[in-house]
Amino acid sequence: MEENNNSNPVPGPQPAPAVSPAPAQPAAGPGQAGTGLWLKVIAVLYVISLFAATTVIYKAEEAKKSKEKKMDMSKFSSLVKSKKDAVAVIPLYGVITQGNSSRSWDKGSQQVARRIKLMADKKEVKAILLDINSPGGSVGAVQEIYTAILRAKRETKKPFIARFGEVSASGGYYVASACDLIVAQPGTITGSIGVIFSVSNFDGLMKKVGMKNEAIKSGKFKDIGSPMRDMTPEERKLLQTLIDDSYAQFVTAVSEGRKMQTDKVKLLADGRIYTGRQALENGLIDKVGDLQDALDAAGDLGKIGRNPRVISENDPLENFMSLIDSKLGLFGSGAMPEALELTPRLEYRWYGR
Amino acid sequence: MDSFHVLTEVLQRPALLAGPERLTGINRTGIFGYFTGTLGAFMFMRLYSAIPPGVMSFMMVFGFVIALNLLLAAVIHLFMEMTDAPGSAHRLFTAFGYSDYLLTLLLPLGFIAKLNYIPPFVCIFLCAGLVVYARVMLIKRVYPVSVNKALLAIALPYAAFMTVCFFGAIYSLAWFVWLLI
Repeated sequence: MEENNNSNPVPGPQPAPAVSPAPAQPAAGPGQAGTGLWLKVIAVLYVISLFAATTVIYKAEEAKKSKEKKMDMSKFSSLVKSKKDAVAVIPLYGVITQGNSSRSWDKGSQQVARRIKLMADKKEVKAILLDINSPGGSVGAVQEIYTAILRAKRETKKPFIARFGEVSASGGYYVASACDLIVAQPGTITGSIGVIFSVSNFDGLMKKVGMKNEAIKSGKFKDIGSPMRDMTPEERKLLQTLIDDSYAQFVTAVSEGRKMQTDKVKLLADGRIYTGRQALENGLIDKVGDLQDALDAAGDLGKIGRNPRVISENDPLENFMSLIDSKLGLFGSGAMPEALELTPRLEYRWYGR
Repeated sequence: MDSFHVLTEVLQRPALLAGPERLTGINRTGIFGYFTGTLGAFMFMRLYSAIPPGVMSFMMVFGFVIALNLLLAAVIHLFMEMTDAPGSAHRLFTAFGYSDYLLTLLLPLGFIAKLNYIPPFVCIFLCAGLVVYARVMLIKRVYPVSVNKALLAIALPYAAFMTVCFFGAIYSLAWFVWLLI
């Protein structure tokens, strides 16, 4: 009898475990061989560029540490003649003050000094033209721009040209004296080589309104220049020494910049103003001309020819913020103190404007 | 199989990244892709002194890249799972390594940018664009999704990050104003 017992089927022989298929390695076709070859070429080029990058970075780090030689990538770019060579134009308008360093759109001396460095460091800039229309400003701010020009000239060996607009007097001229060439209109007002320290005196006004001011101080000169009282003869003498020292610095700067004897500079530096034509006659400027003449001269000095390409740092955002600032300043509380100039300061400034 | 052969195979048959057939060394080549891509980007940043020098600095960047891509692969996989698109986060992570080979282009482009022929941000955007394109295509291989969904999957982690940063900025501003008042 056959027993057909399906409830407990006897398990049959266990099948052999499935062998996982070996990874596929199809025969390489000509397409694959080509792809493989290209990959190897790219890999070799990548390794070469890796070595080159490492070398460049190493040399740049060494140059930074030793400060002897700078890594000048322009040696490679000069293999192809550049059509981008240009003259950078930096405007210097209005009274020169330090400005607010935290606002990049401000037109103060710090921003101007930064622009000078930025433009001088650009490879395509072959000469820098300062477009000056300023009656001067505070001594510190003027000297900041002056030293920035001297540093840029020393580091980059690029020519600097000053071009005068309506007025470039006192501090405006101080800044220009660092330049290699000065171009002015025949009717430009320049000169006013000298220093001024002005302080307002509200003593009489305060007496009228019945106001009194008292200062408790540690030294007798602590409130020197106070607008609340008359200046004492001692204070006047002390301030005169300040003026004399600042004046000597101005004369030295003009003498070195214009390659003139100090005595001759002192003869011209009694604070008087000159027209452009007069300044040409007495050696304070080099050339009479307009902006185009100044650009042509800059192109010649930068060895890029006349009528050169002009670039200027013109950041739209900074211009917008500067515009907003100037518009808001009309309503702001800063306008009145600025107008009265309550804070006494030492200035290279011509007050005729 | 060495990485060259694996890469050749993958370039010839991209389906290998997502299919049942697994080449020997496919994962290793993916990690190697991360390595070479990170090295290219690292050298580009070193050309501009944007990153400190040294092996440790590179290892930290490499570690960050691996971690970031792990997170991206995980988040994208989560998104795909939630939207009924089956796939594998592990394969996606490996596939992303292959897209990072494109970052090696940053090295020659860095030289050209340093010579001021092109701005550096153009190099970065070009390489980033290529990597994003490659990743979109790879996501389409690993998951059965459309191009738009793949693009959305790539953008989502960044959008989430930007949202967190935005809320952080708003909170900081509110706190600062509160502090002043």
